[in-house]
Amino acid sequence: MTTKQLSVVGKSFQRIESKAKVTGSAQYVDDMQFGPNLLFGKLKRSPIPHGLIKRIDTSKAEALPGVRVVVTGQDFPGLTGLYLSDRPTFAVDRVRFVGEAVAGVAAETRELAERAVELIEVEYEPLPGVFDPEFGASPEAPLVHPDLMDYECAPFIFRQEGTNISNWFKVRKGDMEAGWEEADIIYEHAYKVPQVQHVPLETHATVAQMDGNGKITLWSSSQSPFAQRNLIAKSLGISHSKLRVITPYVGGGFGSKAGVSMEGACVIMAMLAKGRPVKLVMTREEEFYTTFVRQGLTAHIKMGMTQDGRITAMQNTYYWDAGAYTEYGVNITRAAGYSSTGPYFVPNVHADSYCVYTNHPIGGAMRGFGMPEIHWATEQHIDRMATQLGLDPVDVRLLNCLKDGQETVTGMIMHPTGLSQCIAQAAEALDWGKASKPSAPHKRRGKGIAAMWKAPAMPPNPGSSATIRFNEDGTCLVNVGGVDIGQGALTVASQIAAEGLGIPFEDVRVNTVDTDYSPYEWQTVASRITWSMGNAVLRAATEAKEQIIDMVAEVWDENPEDLDIIDGHVVSFASEESIPVKNIVVYGMQKPDGTWIGGPVVGKGRFMPDYVTPLDAETGQGPRAVVHFTTGAQAVEVEVDEETGHVKVLKIVSAFDVGKAINPDLVRTQMEGGAVQGLSTALLERLVLEEGQPKNPNFTDYRIATAVDAPPEMVNIIVEVPQDDGPFGARGVGEHPMVPTAPAIANAVRNALGIEIDAMPITSEKVWAALKAKNG
Amino acid sequence: MQAFDYVKAKTLEEASALLAEHNGDARPFAGATDLLIRIERGFLHPAKMVDIKNLPGFRAINALDNDWLRIGAAVTMNEVVIHRDVESRYPLLAEACQSVASYQLRNRATIGGNICNASPAADSAPALICYGAEAIIHGPQGERRVTVEDFFQGVGQTALERGELLTAIEIPPPPDGAVGRFLKLGRTTVGDISVMNVAVLGWPDENAASGASWRIVLGSVAPTPIRAPQAEKLLAGDTSPAGIEAAARAAADTARPIDDIRASAAYRTDMVRVYTRRGVEHVLAELNY
Amino acid sequence: MKHDINLTVNGELYNLTVESHHTLLTILREQLVLTSVKNGCSEGECGACTVLFDGKPVNSCLVLGAEADGHEIVTAEGLTINGQLAPIQQTMIDLGGTQCGYCTPGIVMASFALLERNPNPTEQEIREGLVGNLCRCTGYTRIVDAVREAARLQRTDMTL
Repeated sequence: MTTKQLSVVGKSFQRIESKAKVTGSAQYVDDMQFGPNLLFGKLKRSPIPHGLIKRIDTSKAEALPGVRVVVTGQDFPGLTGLYLSDRPTFAVDRVRFVGEAVAGVAAETRELAERAVELIEVEYEPLPGVFDPEFGASPEAPLVHPDLMDYECAPFIFRQEGTNISNWFKVRKGDMEAGWEEADIIYEHAYKVPQVQHVPLETHATVAQMDGNGKITLWSSSQSPFAQRNLIAKSLGISHSKLRVITPYVGGGFGSKAGVSMEGACVIMAMLAKGRPVKLVMTREEEFYTTFVRQGLTAHIKMGMTQDGRITAMQNTYYWDAGAYTEYGVNITRAAGYSSTGPYFVPNVHADSYCVYTNHPIGGAMRGFGMPEIHWATEQHIDRMATQLGLDPVDVRLLNCLKDGQETVTGMIMHPTGLSQCIAQAAEALDWGKASKPSAPHKRRGKGIAAMWKAPAMPPNPGSSATIRFNEDGTCLVNVGGVDIGQGALTVASQIAAEGLGIPFEDVRVNTVDTDYSPYEWQTVASRITWSMGNAVLRAATEAKEQIIDMVAEVWDENPEDLDIIDGHVVSFASEESIPVKNIVVYGMQKPDGTWIGGPVVGKGRFMPDYVTPLDAETGQGPRAVVHFTTGAQAVEVEVDEETGHVKVLKIVSAFDVGKAINPDLVRTQMEGGAVQGLSTALLERLVLEEGQPKNPNFTDYRIATAVDAPPEMVNIIVEVPQDDGPFGARGVGEHPMVPTAPAIANAVRNALGIEIDAMPITSEKVWAALKAKNG
Repeated sequence: MQAFDYVKAKTLEEASALLAEHNGDARPFAGATDLLIRIERGFLHPAKMVDIKNLPGFRAINALDNDWLRIGAAVTMNEVVIHRDVESRYPLLAEACQSVASYQLRNRATIGGNICNASPAADSAPALICYGAEAIIHGPQGERRVTVEDFFQGVGQTALERGELLTAIEIPPPPDGAVGRFLKLGRTTVGDISVMNVAVLGWPDENAASGASWRIVLGSVAPTPIRAPQAEKLLAGDTSPAGIEAAARAAADTARPIDDIRASAAYRTDMVRVYTRRGVEHVLAELNY
Repeated sequence: MKHDINLTVNGELYNLTVESHHTLLTILREQLVLTSVKNGCSEGECGACTVLFDGKPVNSCLVLGAEADGHEIVTAEGLTINGQLAPIQQTMIDLGGTQCGYCTPGIVMASFALLERNPNPTEQEIREGLVGNLCRCTGYTRIVDAVREAARLQRTDMTL
């Protein structure tokens, strides 16, 4: 790692695209213009949660003038999925959740498409449904996927034949008997997390068009242009070179736009549209339950502790309400397994994480990838046990939290981590231990803390790549396959490239993604872009810089080691010569003999972790389960109205170890945004499902935090313990700030009132009911 | 959104005739903030949308000769909130109207629409009922008036008959020295649909044993906004802390809420107690007698 | 049914033929290609489609295009005059009030209108004034800061 003084990395540049955003000129998919040739797509959806399709009659829709495409699953039966290919684009013989697409229509106007969808007749034979994951995992449950064992599946996913369990991740570590024996107290409790929705302000939006050569272009609001190309091409049996995915600006993702959800349907309709472009944009209602939701969770936690607060053993059972298809969700349950203890050293662990099919909306990736859900349970549990022992929850966390060199739950040796600092600094910034005065007699204040860890969850070998090309004026274009979904990826990539090249930040620009021109990137997920794509960008910059320096060294007849690029100039420390890079990066350089060398500078870089090892299927143990963990903590203060139960979060302190903040202000904005998304899920959010029917798929009854609900005060603390495999020592931090928020608030509410809320969200009514129950 | 026709009505007679002729297939609208959502969600399929907000007087607020205030049916919530007479004489109404949704929405949502939707959660209604406001109705038979309290007939049901149109709300002069308080419980702190709400109006009254008379109207705890007469009566007799608590409990007893996605009946009932008490305490602290 | 309407958008007069059931949002986006006006919910809850209608912010998803006949509309495109950003646009950049950017034009319009009617808002007034604009990325803090700073800039401007 470089010990050189950094000139661009570590500075809070404004994001490079913000002027386009504040003027409204930034184009998102639905803003792109396709002319009067554009057709409007609409999907026919299942009204029932589980049933067999007996008959589909599309004749009336086809007969409607202006309808150009009508398609059903019979025409394109291919399955798809990121880790487990269990999902058809259109249901073929069975529907498994309310809202599942059974047919698609493309027509001249939106109104015609809507009308045509109404005219499609579908006859179902309803089947009994699965609406609870514990029931779903039992032998009595009807099977949602009788063909589970026939699906294509990643080798680290463990399906259970004849059940609804599409993955079972086990940890068997240490000696449980000894662990319970050593404990002075043992506490066992269950916690629940409901389905929530990501609520990106831009819903899923796609346009697809096929040209005369059979080449299809998909414009997609996506976190995963390359994964979409891969999965859609495979499911349709077409060549990757025949599918091009273009992703302009993306109006938020939070995981919902990772992988594939409805995009394949748009591609299929375009294949039948005789060259015309087809637009398919989700309504807000469709967004709420037909793309992805966060999985529900029922968690059973049993923990043993000594009198002085040391954790001796942990037995955790996670039943994931994973929904109708678990193609992506299986890996959430795996991540929950290998992170199952939370960020603590626990010598004896017995953990089971079950991914259970239900007849609920499809559970997919969401900011934190299983971590907000399991930390809701573990971080309340440890807090309650601390109170039971009369210990300070901060002290108990500091005692147990993982330190450098300790073994994680899967036997991996923990790398250097600033977790202890995060916990201590968060507590300090909240004036931990000091009570503040409520604003009214009927109000009570409380403080709570929660710690967290999260590793990028992904296959062992997800790759990143980048290229850097120069323009004649010395500015350069960085090409990457990662998407700026609001987190600031373009700006961070610019900073890393500028630093690596030695040129000013303003001279570097980064493109949005076009799979025909952008180099490969697995997906913009897992908080992995700063780290993984950043590594690729740095390598590309390093290569480009070498090309420039080698050329200059040859012309000047100097040793390349004596040359460097500083602020856009190649300088020699030996001869004190200097030349602007803009003079030489395209046209090359003339030697004293009059000939030219060099030529357009093109740097390329790639990165793929090559050190992640498999884990034992029976014990979950292995040398390196993941690349690394980002750790942190949040401390919150709340004020609760004792009569109404209303919880007001007054202050959130976030402290996360990001290794190295490439752009400190972007790190802070991730912390703030994550904390408020965490607050919103903690206090307000639940997709209400009754027998599989969504009851609140709209903002009227699915409330999210507004500017008034956000805390008036947020403090962000950046801890930097460098990561050995990150660019300039950086780790990702996009997801982490929403992981500890909900349990920290729950702990603060308990601190304020002495009540325990086991099921998220902590609504006013729940607090009121808990107080009633407590006070008799 | 499914297609419909748009008609901008120029006279009351034209609007009334259109509505009578199309009987339910034509919908009068002013702000359309509720209607367009219901059409978008597929709950309503009108053939005609009759825009009535440009009818004469529909957007005006006038002080009448008899000292009543007339608010045209198509006056927006924001216009109500900032109107000088409303601010000075009917602040309880301003408070209620300001609690509706967002500033943007209140630039479109109208007081007439709020009443005509006949949602039990209509925020302006409890305030209007406290003041004894009346709905002015124009129909094929001419003009008639009913109290706002009676205008609400059930969930989504109003006193309007075929071809009839709400033209304005008229509010009598408030009692001398009246002080009001509107409190609303939402899931998000500001801007939610009322889980429940309560409007409290009190004014000095020598004939009352406690020295003040009271109106208490509850929203979102019955099929229509409802008065809490027992609570009003108790407060006229006693506004000691115990008296207020008894009145708050009486208000809670009056409520007939349901369990729904927003809250349980039990929670709503108890919140009627809490918010009535808080509202009364607030008013009492400001009353001058 | 179609209607011929005349309306002024960002200072320019347009004669349009619009469908009865098309909202102002649809007309601005699809007939005038003013795509700063975003569709986030179609139900007047998210505020992404906020525009000024005769100077007042409205949810353009809940206004019929035909109703705009004879009226004046301003969108985010119309706030930038001769390349000069409105103060709230500049402070949104400077203070990091935008992330994914989808809510941003609506927030810019709502904030612009807020400062027109209240040049010196308190923090609570800013927050309540933005209750009709949902943002899922920022946690609102930077947006509130940006409005406060724009207010300060505008006041300073006026006293110059």
